[in-house]
Amino acid sequence: KRARRPRPCSVRELELTVSELGLGYDSDETVLLRYCSGQCTAHRHNYDITMEHMMKAGFKGRRDKVSKGPCCRPTAFEKNFSFLDNKSRYHTIHNVSAKNCGCV
Amino acid sequence: NEIIAPSWREPLDCVRASEMCNQNSQCSSRYRIMRQCLSGGDKERSTMLASKECQGALEVLQDSPLYDCRCKRGMKKELQCLQNYWSIHMGLTEGEEFYETSPYEPIHFSEEHQPASIISDSSLLKMSSCSEAGKPCNPCLDAAKACNLNETCKRLKSAYTAICSKATPPQLSLPNQEPCSKKRCQKALRQFFERVPWELSYPLLFCSCPDQACAERRRRTIIPSCSYQERHKPSCLELRQICRSDALCRSRLADFHMNCQMTPHTVTSCPHDNYHGCLMSYVGLIGSDVTPNYSDSSPSNITISLWCNCRGTGTHEPECEAFHRDFTHNTCLKNAILSFGYGAEGGTLF
Repeated sequence: KRARRPRPCSVRELELTVSELGLGYDSDETVLLRYCSGQCTAHRHNYDITMEHMMKAGFKGRRDKVSKGPCCRPTAFEKNFSFLDNKSRYHTIHNVSAKNCGCV
Repeated sequence: NEIIAPSWREPLDCVRASEMCNQNSQCSSRYRIMRQCLSGGDKERSTMLASKECQGALEVLQDSPLYDCRCKRGMKKELQCLQNYWSIHMGLTEGEEFYETSPYEPIHFSEEHQPASIISDSSLLKMSSCSEAGKPCNPCLDAAKACNLNETCKRLKSAYTAICSKATPPQLSLPNQEPCSKKRCQKALRQFFERVPWELSYPLLFCSCPDQACAERRRRTIIPSCSYQERHKPSCLELRQICRSDALCRSRLADFHMNCQMTPHTVTSCPHDNYHGCLMSYVGLIGSDVTPNYSDSSPSNITISLWCNCRGTGTHEPECEAFHRDFTHNTCLKNAILSFGYGAEGGTLF
């Protein structure tokens, strides 16, 4: 059985209540959360190859952890989002939902 | 007479009508005079209007395309169109009339604009509003969800929310200062209701509520602490006066009176039994100087009110009360709101 072809880094969507975001707000309002997920293997630079090699070879006398490949992360966030909490107070939250994703 | 309006079915829009008038030398000169007649304050205006010159100008303009022109809701140059409309109609009524003719085109009683046509299937309504088992039914929360999942609705709701709930810089605000910029808040609210399809905005405002928490959410939809309340509660006549000095507010108020006026001649007590017309003109007032809202968070006993009262209005009290009663004791408006929330068959008061 062949392995599933990895999906490239892209924006995915999920419907959640504000309470489920884990930001400490208590609100049953449902929001659309956009997040980044997927593979970044196609976006490796010489830097990543070198770092991977360095990790295998071992930095002489150094214990620095180095990420050896690009990560799928938001490159831009959606604009502010406002909601009413369960105590009838309004809140505005920033940088919680991804607008664009990239391998960085 | 070469300046008779063409007899089209659609009323001519007032921007177009004033262009046509300006192409005719007689019409354009009288139109210019008329604008001067109306340029002063309230007192000067009535003296000016009574003058022979102004009366003569008005007489000529009554035969011009400007007399029958109307404006479309949300049209380009809406404000200009309304200003053109009032530039002759203000002279005709002179602001003394209790109810004025709406400068807007009549809202047609057509199937496609009737909320009833999509929500009349009550099984569909129940499916969409209270489907999740175990969770308490809260149509207002469902309306918020539907808005949050739509890009435009979410963006414009977040925009007005941020503006209306933002305090003026806290270190600068004095204890008796307004908690926000009312003007900016009201503008953002108008934009929300103008640009978001009614299918998404109306359910936020007219959702039916089983309990108080839901009704409180409904009451807070327009962020009344900023857009509705004020430290000072003016008299309702004062409020009407302020509204009438602004072309947009005056037009929206006239439109509300025309479409939500109780009438004994129909089952629903709305003109032409047109609920949508009434709701649309009600929504048109939100973000104006006469912004209406729910007066409390009672889930079933809906009372709409303006932020004003009639105390100390003396001899004008009956007029003041009559004006406010069109909001607080309006069976047509109440029926329209209830019918939107519960579907077509529910809640008609007689």
